Amino acid sequence: MTTPFLHINGIRKTYGDVVATDHVELSIAEGEFMTFLGPSGSGKSTTLYILAGFQDPTAGDIKLRGQSILRTPSHKRNIGMVFQRYTLFPHLSVGENVAFPLRVRRMGQAEVAAKVKRALSLVRLDGFEDRMPAKMSGGQQQRVALARALVYDPPVLLMDEPLSALDKKLREEIQFEIRRIHQETGVTILYVTHDQEEALRLSDRIAIFNRGKIEQVGTGPELYANPATHFVADFIGDSAFLSGRLATLQGGRAAIRFEGGQQIVDVPLHGAGQEGQAADLMLRPERMELTPEAGPAGASLPVTVQDITFLGNCTSVAARTDWGDALTVRLNFGHPLAGRVARGDRLNVRWSPEAAHAFVRS
Amino acid sequence: MLLDFDKLGAWKWALSAICAVMALFLLLPILFIVALSFGSSRWLIFPPPGWTLKWYEELFADPRWIGAALTSAKIGVIVMVFSVALGLLASLALVRGTFRGRAVLRAFFLTPMVLPVVIVAVALYAAFLRLGLNGTLPGFVIAHLIVALPFAIITISGALETFDPSIEDAAILCGASPWEARLRVTLPGIRHGLFSAAIFSFLISWDEVVLAIFMASPSLQTLPVKVWTTLRQDLTPVIAAASTLLVALTVILMIVAALIRKGKSE
Ligand SMILES: Nc1ncnc2c1ncn2[C@@H]1O[C@H](COP(=O)(O)OP(=O)(O)OP(=O)(O)O)[C@@H](O)[C@H]1O
Ligand SMILES: [Mg+2]
Repeated sequence: MTTPFLHINGIRKTYGDVVATDHVELSIAEGEFMTFLGPSGSGKSTTLYILAGFQDPTAGDIKLRGQSILRTPSHKRNIGMVFQRYTLFPHLSVGENVAFPLRVRRMGQAEVAAKVKRALSLVRLDGFEDRMPAKMSGGQQQRVALARALVYDPPVLLMDEPLSALDKKLREEIQFEIRRIHQETGVTILYVTHDQEEALRLSDRIAIFNRGKIEQVGTGPELYANPATHFVADFIGDSAFLSGRLATLQGGRAAIRFEGGQQIVDVPLHGAGQEGQAADLMLRPERMELTPEAGPAGASLPVTVQDITFLGNCTSVAARTDWGDALTVRLNFGHPLAGRVARGDRLNVRWSPEAAHAFVRS
Repeated sequence: MLLDFDKLGAWKWALSAICAVMALFLLLPILFIVALSFGSSRWLIFPPPGWTLKWYEELFADPRWIGAALTSAKIGVIVMVFSVALGLLASLALVRGTFRGRAVLRAFFLTPMVLPVVIVAVALYAAFLRLGLNGTLPGFVIAHLIVALPFAIITISGALETFDPSIEDAAILCGASPWEARLRVTLPGIRHGLFSAAIFSFLISWDEVVLAIFMASPSLQTLPVKVWTTLRQDLTPVIAAASTLLVALTVILMIVAALIRKGKSE
């Protein structure tokens, strides 16, 4: 196997009794856009700060092109970073902010000017050289920060929730810019977010963090189609989880029995389990369908309608199974049931086979 | 706001009146002194029978007054430089450090503010007697530094606390060494705090009289000490002129400090 471009090798970091990251293992290819996605406190920032050199890991190593970088102090790592908070130097103009990394590298005046111009043009802020940071919007400031982090051509760019302080519309606009900049520069990016939509929109691959560990790494479609754990299934996509018990097991597929005796058969099972153990059936919302008549036995369930919400392009129907688990099904605009369904209706929910997964409850 | 001034009705006038009386009460003695310094009477009569500049002429013609003023200025400037430098280092440790006992150390640094100055003065006098520092320039500087430093630490720590450490981190990742980052990014970022600390440190030394009386020798005394000793010998309007100049510089520097604070908030 060839040495990976960037190798995060078994990083563990503890603060006293708190385990911030636990054996984080990840290989990143050159030019890849890798996103760390996970809930608050799952260790995403800690991993990034160890890469930046602001924290020392308790155990593990980080290798760039096969060389450990842990011994190199932060300011010699030549890594770029955009922070969650606005970090432009308040006393310097935009141009001088972007020039700062070049000035500390003692680069000649003409070269500095040319590089600053090119970097500002990359983030579409041509001609903003003389503006002071305090006179710019949050989105503009983060774009200047991006230009400053890229102006010295770092091999790796770290971004820790750079857009979380911006409103939704601006966020989407800058996400689009970041994608373009990634394509134009080919820089390797490690991006932290807890917004799944942002992760899916930007990344080549996503690492799902949970309690200091990586639960799964893969492309967005891979994670969506084949979640390895209950946590990943829950974190990506708005799925329904119905709680039951494993009835039969065979070759990685299982049947699940619910309270009241209904049984769903032949769904792929994730995680090791035994008969009788508690397990959840996950159903992806866009693969579920509501029908008035009963579906095929073993791949459909009767439900009672609880609430109906019109959302423009679709109608969202909240329903409950006979044993009380909630699920939501969407009816596209113009669906024959959309106008007729009412609270208290008894309907059947059915799904296409690849939309159902079983997870052993841990 | 809980108490909205505009909605107080009749109370508004009462409050304004109280404020005006308070201001007058605080300002009157100073205005009195200023008026006397321009008054033509030798005996500090109020209201002055006529106006003159001769007390100022007398003041500027007397090398002892000029000497005292220069001594005050010299001590003030040295105290200012040391106070800001030491205050900055102490603040960096107190605000950015991660060692244990920071809160205790901070409280310790601020004790001179709550200790009666006379006690500090007596203690210093006794200590300096052994060290031979009484009546010397270093003695003055150390004494004034003790009372000026807490103000510098409070002002600079305050500025440092509002300066996001992530900005410093950003500078480091940009390639600046930690000290280069502090010098090129953090210091300019807290310059308002440094200027305020400098002005207040100077003023504390410039106005200080208790410690200065203990430290003074016949050949080395500050302006407030000179005012004090002259006052005991001879009630001349030259004292009023000297006091007016003392107050004038204080007021000018306070205005500068206020302008700096205003510039920062904009
Ligand atoms: N300096 C520290 N001292 C003690 N505990 C810390 C420190 N920094 C982080 N932690 C703990 O380590 C864990 C991981 O924190 P981290 O900041 O990496 O999470 P995160 O995934 O970035 O979360 P968020 O989305 O909230 O930024 C948390 O439980 C946090 O409380
Ligand atoms: Mg974080």
